[in-house]
Amino acid sequence: MRRFEYHEPATLEEASRLMGTLGQGAFLLAGGTDLFVEIRERLRSVAHLVNIKRVPGLDRVEWSDRDGLRFGALVTAGQLEASADVAARYPNLHAAMRALASIQVRNRATVIGNICRASPSADSIPPLVADGASIETFRPEGGRSIPLAEFFTGPGRSVLEPGEIAVAITVPPPAPGSRRAYLKHGRRKAMELATVGVAVSLDTADGICTGARIALGAVGPVVLRAPQAEAILTGSRLDAATIEAAARQAMQECTPISNVRSSADYRREMVGVLTRRAVTQAMEQAA
Amino acid sequence: MTKTLLELTVNGEDRSLAIEPYRSLLDVLREEAGLTGTKKGCDVGDCGACTVIVDGQPVNACLMLAVEAQGASVQTVEGLQPGPDELHPLQDAFMEHGASQCGFCTPGILIMAKHLLDQNPLPTDEEIRFGLSGNICRCTGYTKIFDAIRTAGRRMAAAKSQSVEA
Amino acid sequence: MTKQDFRIVGKSVKRQDVIEKVTGEGRYTGDYHLPGLLHGKIKRAEIAHARIKHIDVSKALAYPGVKAVLTHHDVPKVLHYGSPHPRSASCTKDQYILEDKVRFWGEGVAAVAAVSEEIADEALDLIEVEYEPLPAVLDIDAAQQPGAPLIHDVGPGGNLVIPPVHIERGDVEAGFAEADLILEGVFEGGRPVPTYMEPNVCVADWDGSGKLTFWTSTQTSFMVRGALAEVLDLPQNKVRVLVDHMGGGFGAKQDLFQHEFLCALLARQCRRPVKMEFTRKETFIAGRSRHPFRMWLKQGFRKDGTLTARDMKIVYESGAYGSHSPGVTNVGTASATSLYRCPNVRLDGRAVYTNTPIAGAYRGYGVVQTYFAIDIQIDEAAERLGIDPAQMRLLNAVREGDIAPSGHPIVGRGLEACISRGIEAFDWPGKRAAGRGDPANPAIRKGWGIGCEMHGSSAYPGIREQGNATVKMNEDGSVTLLTGAAGLGTGAHTALAQIVAEELGVTFESVSVVHGDTDVVPWDIGAFASHTTYLVGSAAKMAAADLRQRVLARAAERLQESPEHLAMVDGVITVQGKPGQTLTVAEAMGPSRGIPAEHLIANGTYMPTKSYSFAAHFVEVAVDTETGIIECRKVVPVHDVGRVIHPIAAQGQIEGGIQQGIGHTLTEDYIIDRSTGRSLNAGLVDYKMPLSMDMPDIDTIILEAAPDPGGPWGAKGVGEDPIIAIGPAIANAVHDAIGVRFHHYPITPEDVLNGLRQKQENA
Ligand code: FES
Ligand code: FES
Repeated sequence: MRRFEYHEPATLEEASRLMGTLGQGAFLLAGGTDLFVEIRERLRSVAHLVNIKRVPGLDRVEWSDRDGLRFGALVTAGQLEASADVAARYPNLHAAMRALASIQVRNRATVIGNICRASPSADSIPPLVADGASIETFRPEGGRSIPLAEFFTGPGRSVLEPGEIAVAITVPPPAPGSRRAYLKHGRRKAMELATVGVAVSLDTADGICTGARIALGAVGPVVLRAPQAEAILTGSRLDAATIEAAARQAMQECTPISNVRSSADYRREMVGVLTRRAVTQAMEQAA
Repeated sequence: MTKTLLELTVNGEDRSLAIEPYRSLLDVLREEAGLTGTKKGCDVGDCGACTVIVDGQPVNACLMLAVEAQGASVQTVEGLQPGPDELHPLQDAFMEHGASQCGFCTPGILIMAKHLLDQNPLPTDEEIRFGLSGNICRCTGYTKIFDAIRTAGRRMAAAKSQSVEA
Repeated sequence: MTKQDFRIVGKSVKRQDVIEKVTGEGRYTGDYHLPGLLHGKIKRAEIAHARIKHIDVSKALAYPGVKAVLTHHDVPKVLHYGSPHPRSASCTKDQYILEDKVRFWGEGVAAVAAVSEEIADEALDLIEVEYEPLPAVLDIDAAQQPGAPLIHDVGPGGNLVIPPVHIERGDVEAGFAEADLILEGVFEGGRPVPTYMEPNVCVADWDGSGKLTFWTSTQTSFMVRGALAEVLDLPQNKVRVLVDHMGGGFGAKQDLFQHEFLCALLARQCRRPVKMEFTRKETFIAGRSRHPFRMWLKQGFRKDGTLTARDMKIVYESGAYGSHSPGVTNVGTASATSLYRCPNVRLDGRAVYTNTPIAGAYRGYGVVQTYFAIDIQIDEAAERLGIDPAQMRLLNAVREGDIAPSGHPIVGRGLEACISRGIEAFDWPGKRAAGRGDPANPAIRKGWGIGCEMHGSSAYPGIREQGNATVKMNEDGSVTLLTGAAGLGTGAHTALAQIVAEELGVTFESVSVVHGDTDVVPWDIGAFASHTTYLVGSAAKMAAADLRQRVLARAAERLQESPEHLAMVDGVITVQGKPGQTLTVAEAMGPSRGIPAEHLIANGTYMPTKSYSFAAHFVEVAVDTETGIIECRKVVPVHDVGRVIHPIAAQGQIEGGIQQGIGHTLTEDYIIDRSTGRSLNAGLVDYKMPLSMDMPDIDTIILEAAPDPGGPWGAKGVGEDPIIAIGPAIANAVHDAIGVRFHHYPITPEDVLNGLRQKQENA
C-alpha cells in the first residue's frame, strides 16, 4: 500500500467540494474493492481518498411498481444479490451479482463503484444496460440523470465531470411478459473476470417478442448493445432459427480485442454461443 | 501523517488502536492488534485467506481500511473457540478430516464456513462449494474441507435440536 | 509384521500441528513482529535482458524513513547456487546476490529497508536505473540458435545449463525395425507455478556477537544456512535458521532466493531486524515455476501392443538461472526409461537458459512432462492397434525386476495393481461402453481416460541423501523427536511421531516433535523428492529401536529381569510369562531409591537408495463442444504407497496433487510475453487455479501392494505422485470424448474449438 490522506465528508456537497479542491490525486471511495487493488498494484497514484460512507441515504435498495428499482451509491453487490425484488424481477442483474468476484468481495463492493470504474468486463453493466437503467448524479449546480448506455466513453472513462458524484441507479419496472438472463463466460466457475458477458432483456406478448435488448460485455471498449440482433428478435416468435440468426448477428456487432484471457476470435464466437443460450434461458425461465 | 483512534470490538473485546488511515484492516489486526491468525495470501481480494466477519458479514480484511471498521464488531479465527479448552465443531471437524494441510487458508476458510453454517446448518454440496468460492486452498483439493464442513454442520444441527428439546 | 499388529501406524491419528492451525495460533514466518522491525522491498527491473549502466539511489536514501539501500556495488560478490544442494549433481553456480546485469523482467536490482512497508515501497520509485538493453532470448528456439546472445558466461556453452543428458539402453534402431506401428509426436507444456498460499517471506536479525537469526519459509533450512554462511562468509554456527509452520512450498521453496540474502544484508547494515515479504505478484515473478518444455517422442509397438523402442529428445526451459534444471533434466530424462517397459531406449535431455522467470523445483520434478507425453502416445497406440487402453497399460507396465530410472531393480508389481484395481473401481469397461452424449445438454460430450505414473521416493542417485533423527526419552516417560525435516503441511511430522511411537512402544500422544531450528535439530537435507517418510522415517525408526533397547535395559535392571524377556506396548513394560509384573515407562525412567532419573538419547542416520511409488488415475471429463470448456467431473486415483502411515494425510496429498494437476492441464499457465519478457498474468484471477466449484468428485484408493524394504515397514513416498498421472488421464479422456488428440498443456477452450474444427475439415 502507499500512503494517502483520508477524508470522510458528511454530505455530498462537502464530498464534491473536496474532490474539486484536492484535485488530480483525489479519489472517491465507496466499497474500495477495486481502488485498493489499484493502489497496491501502483496502477493509480492516490494522494487523497474521499470516503462517502457517512453520507446519509445512499445505502438503500427500493422497489416500486411505478418507478421500478432504485439503489444508492453505497449499495453493495451482496445487498442486491440478497434482494428478493431483484431476484424476482431482474434475474439478469441477480445472476450478474452472483457471478461477481466472491461473496466476501460482494459484501464490500458497491454496484455503482463497479459501474463507475467503467471496465468493459464489469458484470453489473450488461444487465443494467439491457434493462435501460439510468444513473443519477450529484453536482453542486444540480444533478442529472444519464442513461447508462450513454454513460461510458471508453475503458475506465465516463461522462462524469470533475466533482460530479454518481449517487443512484434507477431501472424501469419490467413490463409484463419480460424475460431476462445474464450469462458470463470464464474458465472457472467463480472468481472470474468475464471473458464475455451477455445480458438479454426481452419483452414478450402472446408468444411474440415485442422488444429486445442485448448487451455485450468485454467485447468492446465499453459494454455494447447489439441493435441489429435485437431487430432480428423483435417481432419474431423466438424460434430456434431466429435466435440462432440473432446470435450470429450479435457476433458481427461486437469489437473484441485479444489479450491474456482470450483471443478476439474466440470472444466473438462466444458472443454467438452466449447470446443464443441467454435468449433460450430467458425464455425457459419464464416457462 | 496523523493517526486516528480506532475503536472497535474484536472477538467480543473492546479495543482502541491508534492507526494510520491508509492501513488495511488486515494489517491492523495482524500488526497492531496482535492477531496474526488471519493471513495475507494476496492483499488484493483474490484468495480469501484474510476473511473475517465484520458486523455479521464475511469480508476480505485486505480490501477494507481499518478506519472503516470504526465502531464495528469484528470476528477472526482467534474468536472461534467457545472456551479456552474447547474447540468450535468446525475446528474439531477440520482436524478429524485432515481439512488443513499447510493451514494458511484455514483461518479464512473456517470463518467463511462458520458464516455459512450459521446461516444454513445443513448446506448442500453445491451450497458449500458456492460458499467457499472466494477461498483458495492449494493443498487439499477441497475434498476434505467439504467433508469437515458437512460433519460440523450435522453436529451443530444435532446439538441445536437437542438443546431445543431439552 | 502384519497390518493388524500395528497400534499407531496406519491410523489417522490427530495431527499434532493442526490444532494450532485451526485456532490461528500457529506461527508462520510472516507472523513474527520483532521490536524495531524494518521492512525490506526489492526494486525490480522492467526489462528482460540488460546491463546496468548506472544506478542512483541518492533520492531513495534521502527519503524520510529509509534506513538503507543496497545495489550491486554494496553486496558480496560470490557466485552461488540457486538450488543449494551442496553435494548434489543438481546445482549450477550462476548467480550473484546482485549484479550489474539483468537476466529477466522482474529480477531484483536493488533493495530498500525502511521503517514501514509503505515507505519502503514508495522509495523504490526514487531509485533511478539506467539500462543498456541487450538482445533478449525469450524462447527455447531462440536460445538454441547458433550465435544466439549468451545469457551466462558460465556453463557448458551456448545457452545450455548443463551438458546434454544422454541415456541409451538396448538397440533403438533394431527395436524400431521390429515394430509394426511407429508413432512420432511433438509434445509441449506451459509454465505452471506452485502458487503456495503463503508468499515467500523472511525475517533477519543479527545479535551483538555477529550471529544471524533467520526466519524463513523454506523446505530446506539447512541449505539456507549453508548458502547464507557461504555467501556471507560466516561459519555455520553463526547462522541459525528457523521455520515453524509454513504455508506450502510444493518444491519451489527449496531455492535460496535473492531476497533472503538481501534481507540478511539489510539487517546487518541497519543493525535492526528486517522483514521481507513478497507480494502475490512477486511470488509469481520472483518465485519458481515448473519447466516449460518441448519433447519429440517416437515409439515403436508390436501388433499385440508390446513396446519395442523409444527415442526421445526433450528441451526444458530453465529461465534466467539454472536453479534445479540439472536435477530436473536428469530426473525427467531418466524417467523415460521406465513406466512402460521398453528394452530399447535412446534419450536426450537438455535445459536452456532464456530471459524469462526462473524455473525451479516443483512437485513432479521433470517427470510430469515426460509421462504426460509417453502416456498420451501409449493411448494413441492402443487406439491405432485396437487394444483397450487399460489393457495396453497392463501389458506394458513396469514390474518386479525391471530396471528403474535409478538403475535399481523395481520392487513388486505396484503399477499393475493400481491399474487393475482402478479398472474395477471405476467400472472402466462399463464406462467405455456407455454413450458419449449427455441427454441433458446436446453440446456436451463425455469421455473417460487413464493415466499412469511412477515416482521415486528420494533423489537418489542424483543426490546421496542422509536422513537423521534424534529421539529422547525424558525422565517422565515422554518422548521428544528432533528432526530437521520441514513441515510443509503434508503431515510429515505426525507420520514421524507415529513411526517413533510404534517402534518404541509408547502411545502416539507421548511423542512430541521438535523441528525447524538448525541450532537444535539434527542436520537434514530438506523436505523434497517425496522422501520425508521414507528417509527420515527410517532414521527415526532406527533411533527409536535403539532407544527402546536402552529403555528396556534400564527397566530390566529395575525389574531384575533380563531385557530379552521384556516387552513394551503403549508405554507399559511387561515381563514375559509374569503377567502381574509391569512397569510404566515413566516408572522405569524416573528416579528411585539409589538410582537417579536418566535421560536417554538415541540417534538414527539412514542413507537410502530408492523406492518407487505408483499410481493410475481414471477420470471422467465433459467437454462443452460450443465453448470448448473441459470439465473434469470425476477422478478415481489409485496409488500404491507401500505402507500407509497416516491414511487421511496420504489421501489429502493425493487430492491436493490432483487439484494442481487439473489446473496445469486445463487452466493454469503463467504467461510471459514472448516479445518483451514481461509477465502477463501474475495474479490469482488471471492465473487460474481450480477452486471449490471446479473440483471433481475424487474417490481415492490407497494400496499397499508393493512395500519397499528401504522404507519404514515398507512405506514409500506420496507427495509428488498425484500431480503426474492426472494430466495425461485428462488429455486421454478429452480424446475419448471428442476424438481430438492434444499434445500439450494447458488445453484451452480455444484449443478445443480449433481442434474440433480441424477434425471436421479433415473428415
Ligand atoms: S489476502 Fe485478502 S483476499 Fe487474499
Ligand atoms: S491447507 Fe494449504 S492452502 Fe489450504
